[in-house]
Amino acid sequence: MEPELAIAFPAVGAVLTAILHPRPRAALVAGALLGAAGIGAVLLVAPGLTSDLLGVSLAISAMSRALLLVAAASLALIIAFPPPRADRAVLLAWGLAGIAGMAAIAAAPNLDLVILLTLAIALLHAALGGRRPLAARLRAPALAVALLGVGLVFARLDGSQILARFAAIGLIAGLAAALGTLPYIHEFDPEEPTSTSPIAWIAFLGPILALAVITRARELIPTAGAVFAAMLIGLGLLNVLWGGLASWLTEKGMSAWHYSFMADWGLVLCAFGILVADGQAAAVLLLFGIVLSRLPLYLWSRQSLRESIQTDRPINLLAAAMLAGAAPFAGFAARLFLLRGATQLYWPLALVIGIGLLLWLPPSLRLGRSLGTPRGRLALGVAIALSLSVAIGIYPQPILSLAGL
Amino acid sequence: MLWLQGEDVTLRPSYTLRGRMPSIALIAPVAIPLATAGAVAICGVAGWKIDRVVLAAGAWLAIVALIALWAPVRSTQELGLGQLGFGTPSELRLDAVGFTFGLMVLVPAAILLTLQPRPWQEGTVAALGVAASVVAVESGGVLLTAVAGGAAATLAIVQLDVEDARAERPPWGVLLAAWLALAWVAAILQVRSGTAIYGAVPVSALTVPVFGLLAASALIASGLYPWRGWASHLWGRPALRSAGMAVATLYPLGFYLLVRAYELGDGRYPQFWMQVALAGVGVLVAFGAAARAQGASTRRAYLGEVIPGLGGFALIGISVGTPLGLVVGIATLGVAAILAACLPLLPDRGGAASLVVIAAAAGLPPGLAFGVRVLGLEATFEADNPMGLIGIAAAATWILSIIAAARAVGLPAGRGHPAIETEPRVAMGLALAIVVAGPALGLVLAVLATPAQAVVMPAPPGISLGGLTSVVTVSTVLPAVALFTPVLLLAVLAYYYGGALTVRGQARTAFVVLPGSDRLARLREGLRSATVPAQYRSLVDLRALEAAATGGGTLLWLAALVALAFAVTR
Amino acid sequence: MAGCAGRPGIRGYALIADSFLTAVAAFAAWLGAATIVLADGRRGLGVGIALVAVGFTAIAWSDGVWVGGGFLLVGCAIAVIALLRAGPQDWGLMPAGSTSRVILAVAVGIVSLWMAASVTTGPGASLRFASLAVLALMAGRLLQTNAAVPALTGAAGLAIALAGASQLGPNDSGFAPYVIAAMVTAGALLLPAARSHGA
Repeated sequence: MEPELAIAFPAVGAVLTAILHPRPRAALVAGALLGAAGIGAVLLVAPGLTSDLLGVSLAISAMSRALLLVAAASLALIIAFPPPRADRAVLLAWGLAGIAGMAAIAAAPNLDLVILLTLAIALLHAALGGRRPLAARLRAPALAVALLGVGLVFARLDGSQILARFAAIGLIAGLAAALGTLPYIHEFDPEEPTSTSPIAWIAFLGPILALAVITRARELIPTAGAVFAAMLIGLGLLNVLWGGLASWLTEKGMSAWHYSFMADWGLVLCAFGILVADGQAAAVLLLFGIVLSRLPLYLWSRQSLRESIQTDRPINLLAAAMLAGAAPFAGFAARLFLLRGATQLYWPLALVIGIGLLLWLPPSLRLGRSLGTPRGRLALGVAIALSLSVAIGIYPQPILSLAGL
Repeated sequence: MLWLQGEDVTLRPSYTLRGRMPSIALIAPVAIPLATAGAVAICGVAGWKIDRVVLAAGAWLAIVALIALWAPVRSTQELGLGQLGFGTPSELRLDAVGFTFGLMVLVPAAILLTLQPRPWQEGTVAALGVAASVVAVESGGVLLTAVAGGAAATLAIVQLDVEDARAERPPWGVLLAAWLALAWVAAILQVRSGTAIYGAVPVSALTVPVFGLLAASALIASGLYPWRGWASHLWGRPALRSAGMAVATLYPLGFYLLVRAYELGDGRYPQFWMQVALAGVGVLVAFGAAARAQGASTRRAYLGEVIPGLGGFALIGISVGTPLGLVVGIATLGVAAILAACLPLLPDRGGAASLVVIAAAAGLPPGLAFGVRVLGLEATFEADNPMGLIGIAAAATWILSIIAAARAVGLPAGRGHPAIETEPRVAMGLALAIVVAGPALGLVLAVLATPAQAVVMPAPPGISLGGLTSVVTVSTVLPAVALFTPVLLLAVLAYYYGGALTVRGQARTAFVVLPGSDRLARLREGLRSATVPAQYRSLVDLRALEAAATGGGTLLWLAALVALAFAVTR
Repeated sequence: MAGCAGRPGIRGYALIADSFLTAVAAFAAWLGAATIVLADGRRGLGVGIALVAVGFTAIAWSDGVWVGGGFLLVGCAIAVIALLRAGPQDWGLMPAGSTSRVILAVAVGIVSLWMAASVTTGPGASLRFASLAVLALMAGRLLQTNAAVPALTGAAGLAIALAGASQLGPNDSGFAPYVIAAMVTAGALLLPAARSHGA
């Protein structure tokens, strides 16, 4: 019954935290306890073993479990070291709701349920409010659901071989629309709170959704596997190029962060498209970097971005190095795996990816400086994020073992 | 084994600690700088003003640990680090190459960390950079070298930016590219041969493209360009604390890769023309440095070309492909390492210290720099024909560098860096050590360079490079002690009885103006300031492009779908 | 019976899957989706979502998925009631400038019919048609509208179509998709944004 508990505990925690919001301390305690219980259930999950408690076969794979744990760690980091002027109870409530949704997606037995759950999450997310109108908030995720649904339908149709390829298109386009990568970039208002902005999709919900769609797609359309992988790589390279350049050249600081997530996702899509073990390992490490490094740094930098503060202290440069994927941070290990996987597949691809990797540095310097001067607890939070990244970069084996690689 | 001139005396160590020193001790030269960094950070945060003492103690203790690990055993020691997750087991390895390059990193770093006061934040990053650099040279495989070298580069950049964010520093992207390229080399070796461990990679895995990538990585990592590279630019900074540390920790790493490449290739590079090409690059690097040095407007600008000049000669020696060349190349790097400690300690004013440093760097007899250059030229002439031409070019370059040195004596000092970070007497002492060590050339080669050469390039049987008092080449013998000692005595006498030397610094015209050099500078300036012509700017309106891509455009989304469908139906 | 042989995807009764009833149901689903595309008013949207739900429910029931179909109906009923109880009650059918929407509805219908009946093979053509048509039309509605209620109605239509399409899979997906779809359908139109804003 662990998968059920992995969904139920965070969901109940989210509801309770929201209800207890007028009493912040009680809300935090309740949310923290139930969230911890949910993570405990995730830890106890035996990867691949199904549970039929609710009449639906739920199972969480090793990779999904690893991503759930890292999402929880990221949430814990953000709650423990909250951004300036952030309401921790609200952050915790929506974070737990997100984790519950992610756990549900991870445990879903088939892609139909994954897509329906994504639609439900999209509706809830759109209902949170924000500066954009509801139709605008709902547009891209709902299009994603439609495209995934069409892709799924095509995958199940009998007929010409081309149907499998159309299925691949639907699934990949749907995934890109859900994440908010190019060409399906979500409308982004820099002043919108992160929980209601597209960042929630690209940096928190996206990893588990991508994993669910891609792993199931490979089983659904085996005849179009090569086309599927090729499209992933093509879309990935496009996002690497766009994300790197746009993050560097855009005038708006918040948008620079938004595009940097896209650049990272470009690498992730390339990694998933490289159908060897090294590609999958690279994808896992890159996703860890997005959730555990880039997302917390983005949240911590929002206040400095509003005040247009740019600083050049050691912590800013180390953050820039981490965001750029320089050694000894986790990004470098991921890039090593990516290059090795690409070399096994087709060495010119490794060359193209390698050249693309050089685009990370100028925007990373900009983003690192936009962190401002974190003080007190925030500095400690940044230090923890940096340390975790270094630890994973030097010794990625535990993470890879956790993900079943 | 030691060979004395005229006698074959075999001294085998009768007592070794092999088997007594646990292999985990191999981590000491890395762990000590890491612990030092932590201790300095704690001292800094706590407000204890002893961080400089801690830094100094840690740096020298690391050297002691390195010597203590190596000296009793003098053979390869390995420490397996297990599966770190990179696909193959990683390991630390201390052999003669690691020992020599470890000293090249640690000694100048220790000197600078001891004598130059710096904020605790800089000190912490500096110690971490030293640790990373030591891991890079003590790594057992290409992969760990790539990770550690990349880390060292990152930390050097951070250190330089912390000291002064507006001053010159190496282009971070270029350094990152170099270590990424090396990571790719490691990946290729693992894919082709299942391993990237230096001693285990089959020779067939080191193909021409792979070696080309490795060589490119090495050249970029150490900034070995014919034009002014980062190793020159750094000396133009207002302060020279971090510049010295950056050169000490980063500059040797590229050469380390080229030396290890011999081990990968079982004593040679994949093709002879690659050796010639690299040696040619070495000549260009040295010549470029000499040309800039002879046109320098200040003594500081001249001194900024000393390390690149020596680097060029070291590259020539390493690329020759003979045991003598490799030994000489490594020894040249040793001289560069001492100067990397010396130059930041030298104040920007005239005086005896400047004179001695210039003399040592220029390679005046009987200094060590003179001896290694002579042997380097000898090595090129003893190698095949193209190398002989390289040797001639190198000789001409040396002459130009001596002219530059002579000219530099009378140049104005330069902008001046803070006096508190200078130690003129120590700088002069280090330079004097280079000069005085000239007669001990044989000893230096026998203790440091020849064992390293033996690891990566086994010499043909019956070939020896000499001993403590002389150096044996293919065609001749250089009696270092016998020849250089009288010259040293003469130099001492001349200095003692010569009286005070007054040199008034004044601007001087360049000795040689290279044709086309101003054109090249104008071209670079033109490229740097290039912009899109006004009439075409609307085509590359980034703001409009961004708005189109991010506006949630339905048309764009549908067009993307159509494009994907078109792509998959082809 | 001949239509079912060799096509493991359709379970339930051993009937010819593409009966007149399922064809009518599929047409009703398309009509409902087209109504959602063409209507800006709550009544029009209510009729549209009802038709979509009835169509897919009929297809599900013809396939023996009684419980699932029931859930869809319940969810749709809640959605329709929510639409009709709040906000201005108008039809808003084919407002000015809706020519493109008409073309969209017709074109999608034709293409979906072609895909379901001609390009693809096997029984279950009605379900294929309904799924493709409704998914495509709801996607188009979501891309086109800037108002909250039509967007939410479109999302509800997506949910119903996805639940129906789950029957195309080779394995029995149970009633879970229908339950979630019903919750999404009802929940979408119960959201505060659906109640406080006009269509």
